[in-house]
Amino acid sequence: MTRSIIDPITRIEGHLRVEMEVEQGVVTDAWVSGGCFRGMELVVQNRTPQDAAQIVQRICGVCPVSHAHASSIAAEKAYGITISNNARLVRNLIEGAQFLHSHILWFYNLCALDYVNPLDALNANVPDTYDLAQAAGTSMDTDFYGLKEKLEAFAANGQLSIFSGNWFDCDNGEGYKLSPELNLICTAHYLEALKMQARASEVAALLGGKMPHVMTLIPGGTAFVPTESKLDDLWAMVNEIYDWVSTTMIQDTLALAPAYTDVLTFGKGCGRYIAWGVFEGPGWPYGGNYTEQMIHRYLPMGVLDEELNVSDVQEPLITEYMGHSWYKGDGTYESPYFVTEPEFTEYNVEDRYSWVKCPAYDGKPMEAGGFARILAAYQRNVPFVVEQVDAMLVALGARPGQLSVLQNTLGRTASRQIETLYIAGLMKEWTQELMEAIAGGDSEYFKEPLTTTGEGTGFWEAPRGALYHSEKVTNNNVDGYQIIIPSTWNLAPMNADGVHGPMEQALIGCPVQDVEMPINALRTVHSFDPCTACAVHITEPATGKTFKTVTSPWGVK
Amino acid sequence: MEDLAKTTDVFSVLESRGVSRRSFMKLCAGVAAAAGLSQMAIPRVAEAIEKSVIGATSGDLYPVIWIEGASCTGCTESFAQIETPDVATVVLDVISLNYSETLSAAAGWSVEEAKAQTIEAGNYILIYEGAVLKAWGGNALRVAGEVGTEALIEAAESANAVVAVGSCAVNGGWCAAHPNPSNAMGVEQFLAEEGIKTPVVNIPGCPVNPEWIMSVLVDVVMLQDPGLLKLNDFAMPAGLFNQTVHDNCERRGHFENGEFVYEFGSEEEAKGYCLYPLGCRGPQTHSPCGVTLWNNRRSWCVQAGSPCIGCCEANPNNPGDNWVQVNAPFYKRFRDLRVGDLHFQPEPVAWVLTGIVAAALVVHGFGMKKTGRMDGGADFEPIRKWDEAHPEQSIGVYADPKTGGPVLDPAICEENTQHAAAAADEVVNDYEKE
Amino acid sequence: MAHLAHYREAHPMIFVVTHWINLISMVWLIFSGFIIHYPFIPGIMGICRGSHVLFGCILFLNMIFRVIAAFFVKTSPTGGTRKQDTDYKSWLPQKDNRHQALEWIKYYLFLKKDHPLGAKLGVPQKLSYLLIPILILIMWWTGMCIWAPVMDMGPFAATVNFVGGAMSMRIIHYYLMFVFIIFMFIHIYLANVESFAPTKLMFIHKEHGGLVYDPELHNIVGEDMNPSKDK
Repeated sequence: MTRSIIDPITRIEGHLRVEMEVEQGVVTDAWVSGGCFRGMELVVQNRTPQDAAQIVQRICGVCPVSHAHASSIAAEKAYGITISNNARLVRNLIEGAQFLHSHILWFYNLCALDYVNPLDALNANVPDTYDLAQAAGTSMDTDFYGLKEKLEAFAANGQLSIFSGNWFDCDNGEGYKLSPELNLICTAHYLEALKMQARASEVAALLGGKMPHVMTLIPGGTAFVPTESKLDDLWAMVNEIYDWVSTTMIQDTLALAPAYTDVLTFGKGCGRYIAWGVFEGPGWPYGGNYTEQMIHRYLPMGVLDEELNVSDVQEPLITEYMGHSWYKGDGTYESPYFVTEPEFTEYNVEDRYSWVKCPAYDGKPMEAGGFARILAAYQRNVPFVVEQVDAMLVALGARPGQLSVLQNTLGRTASRQIETLYIAGLMKEWTQELMEAIAGGDSEYFKEPLTTTGEGTGFWEAPRGALYHSEKVTNNNVDGYQIIIPSTWNLAPMNADGVHGPMEQALIGCPVQDVEMPINALRTVHSFDPCTACAVHITEPATGKTFKTVTSPWGVK
Repeated sequence: MEDLAKTTDVFSVLESRGVSRRSFMKLCAGVAAAAGLSQMAIPRVAEAIEKSVIGATSGDLYPVIWIEGASCTGCTESFAQIETPDVATVVLDVISLNYSETLSAAAGWSVEEAKAQTIEAGNYILIYEGAVLKAWGGNALRVAGEVGTEALIEAAESANAVVAVGSCAVNGGWCAAHPNPSNAMGVEQFLAEEGIKTPVVNIPGCPVNPEWIMSVLVDVVMLQDPGLLKLNDFAMPAGLFNQTVHDNCERRGHFENGEFVYEFGSEEEAKGYCLYPLGCRGPQTHSPCGVTLWNNRRSWCVQAGSPCIGCCEANPNNPGDNWVQVNAPFYKRFRDLRVGDLHFQPEPVAWVLTGIVAAALVVHGFGMKKTGRMDGGADFEPIRKWDEAHPEQSIGVYADPKTGGPVLDPAICEENTQHAAAAADEVVNDYEKE
Repeated sequence: MAHLAHYREAHPMIFVVTHWINLISMVWLIFSGFIIHYPFIPGIMGICRGSHVLFGCILFLNMIFRVIAAFFVKTSPTGGTRKQDTDYKSWLPQKDNRHQALEWIKYYLFLKKDHPLGAKLGVPQKLSYLLIPILILIMWWTGMCIWAPVMDMGPFAATVNFVGGAMSMRIIHYYLMFVFIIFMFIHIYLANVESFAPTKLMFIHKEHGGLVYDPELHNIVGEDMNPSKDK
């Protein structure tokens, strides 16, 4: 019995630690710890909903748009307004740009280094590489000769830069299984992806001013008003991204999958899923019916049980427990406005071991993320998703509809590429729709609040999964704010009954050959695309008097 | 249990005997190499790696450690958007990014070891992103089983320079905004408190603009001349942060013309009018956003239609002056003032106060009217009260030292009404004679 | 009814001019300041900004001139006399006002029926007039601190830093304007509530008869009902 620890987990957003009990090469117990507390909900307290939308996106530099979006939706519900159709399109486009950015970056630049060894690409035979790329149907935009030379120069210098301390030789050199040629292709795409994720961010910047932390997505609609030249640029960029995504991502996934079929055998997790839905649908605004609105999103809302039966979300079923986290007390709180107060004790996996709280739906841990969204879309019969998932299942040697084949680390990783392609296509659709709407004379982008007192909940999705913002507003002043973030669901510590969180469950059963470099555990962690900066946050205690107040009118000195 | 966080139980035993974590990591690396675990496909790399996990300790690339404190990873993200040169060129041809929680291929102890070896080899730059958290003895941020502040101290001590990127690293950023629950502050102030003398360069922004980081790296890494880097009083690159957003704003012409956007998404917005009435913080925010632009020079906040919210405002010596606190609410002309839990806009207070004074004057006016003072005022007192009580020290001369009363003296009266005028007339006459 | 005679010697022509300059500068500064704070009338931002700086500096220089002139120009130390003394003395404590502070306050609060005897400036007036040059100085300084061409100069930048940034400086500048507005309200009210004679003297140099007061006896010595004809 040995402990295996990965701390810090790299190639994620934020600070994360994974501690595992390993017996005979298999993980038997696991604890996931989120390492950073910043107190977002306290900071947005007593500010305007507009400010809150700007500040909350600073919770995460990878998915800021989603936070601004969810916060704005919550504010709009509180304000009693429905945004205009043009605002819906612009906001879908910004959100879509961020999803594309995040998914491309995650798959190639964060996740792929668990499967691809760029240093081994030095051994590649370049003509064979071209043949392989052609056979796999993946893109050949990069000059493979030039890339190999560049890598040789890098290796000759000897400094390893981002490859310092790599695990490429783990599991006695058996951990990385791609041929040098495929490694070279994937390394080329790693570098292309760095450019392409930046291009996707550029779309968000075109519409939002800058990325990360867009500026125009505000409660009431959008501050961005398209001009013809901006629309031209938008059209060119969404096409460029679509062309790249459609010729690389699924092809590369299917090319590397045969080498890693063992990764299809572990990492299932809790097997229950939540998705609140993202990208407002074409039948906008659905007469103000929130459930209808969520069901008709391009990626629809759905709560999936162990048999993957889909049902609609019921807000009161969301609870949070903090008996294993660094907060006072060990109660279970109901949505919205949980009352919690941070208090660090010590790192102790028998007691409290994380800044992440433990949310539950209907008393059970739930997995959130791209995979959850794809399953919800499949069960809600979104045609593109059904078609692509079935095609992928067939490519993996299963039959259409056999979703259980994907319930594992590699399946979770692969299904995201379907989502990426879907969104890349939608971006083109929305751009055209927006152009037509403007040509038709529609020019409404922003609405003033109808009331400045009310409550609202923003059910939305970040690239990493189900995102929930809820706020209570009195005279345009935030009285209560609650955020439940996808990674809070996925990285949850044990609940009151001692049931592990989804990622902990997924880690249990992972084969670990080398406790110093547990590569399969790392693959599993990355398949969730964790984002711990988001995951840790707290709510204002009801008294509001917990923290030192200041007397200087200029604020905290 | 915390000790189990280190690779094996052996460590807690070693630690109790005073063996540091870093030397233990070295030992581990040695063991791993001896066991033949580190056989790389490329001999040059393999040879280097037998000595260290970071490869060669020196070479063409400038070693850089990038530590994330209490960050949202937005600055790393922003850095990943750089296009001139692109990020791949930066990490493969310019710097040797030996430690980055977001980009490193390694994870866990081996990436920590890469950091330790870089620190040991020296001659590196530390880039720090995110706030420094001091709450719960630094436990508000925990990395690799230790508190975040220790990691910063360790890496900063031997660095050639610390580059604090993003407003959080400069002075706590939004984390330090009221009520600052995690006790956040900036790197420069924290290091000064700890007595660490390593020079700090502050680059604010939420997030930081990658072009600004690159301009610092060009001076220090590529031109090998830190002297090129002129810093202002806030230790920010003077060439970047000595002008305001307003100075270089593309909508400045509309500002001077008095052409404004008064409502989001309006027709005026489509014309690109000035966003000043919507609370734009451009006039007081020092940053070159309108010059460098964002995301491959694609756009920036004001171009996209949003007023500047002042995310580059950060006084490194005062976490209380973080950009959220000095600017919120963002879409009003003024920030809120706070007294305890009370917060309010400055304007209504001023108007109410002025209104009270005006109302008091009106009421007073009625009092004056009622007491018949409007027509020249009340009659003068016959004697000063003090003079009445102290006749021996009397200030005035009265008709009667007890009851007072004017000293009616036509001569003095004459002197008082004629004296100066007569003198003035004489002066004029003299002037005319000359 | 009873008030002291208003003679030109109280406000020589040069101070009538500086007073006019003060009035015009302050009114325009307040108006243009409101426009700069929030452009409720579009189209005049450039005019307001340029003239705001110009009038701010005029007000400041006028204040400097007025303070220096106080040491050279002679004015009547009290109303109701043509006798003159160096002007600055009427800003400082004068014998006529000694022990009268409480009496002035009581008079204004209707706790005292009779008008207190005193000098040209009553006690509260004297205190507020002493503060005005300081207020103008601070106002000018805070204005310079947020005026782009000079805001980065050492002393100004240091002040901005001291108060916690340009935003705080703007708010201070804004609040000080309200101190001016409140001062002007009280000043105009008190100057005119008992009669318009002081205002006429101040602005158009028109004299007005009344009681004659001797600055040496510190008491009323007679009455002069036709002052203008004396000249």
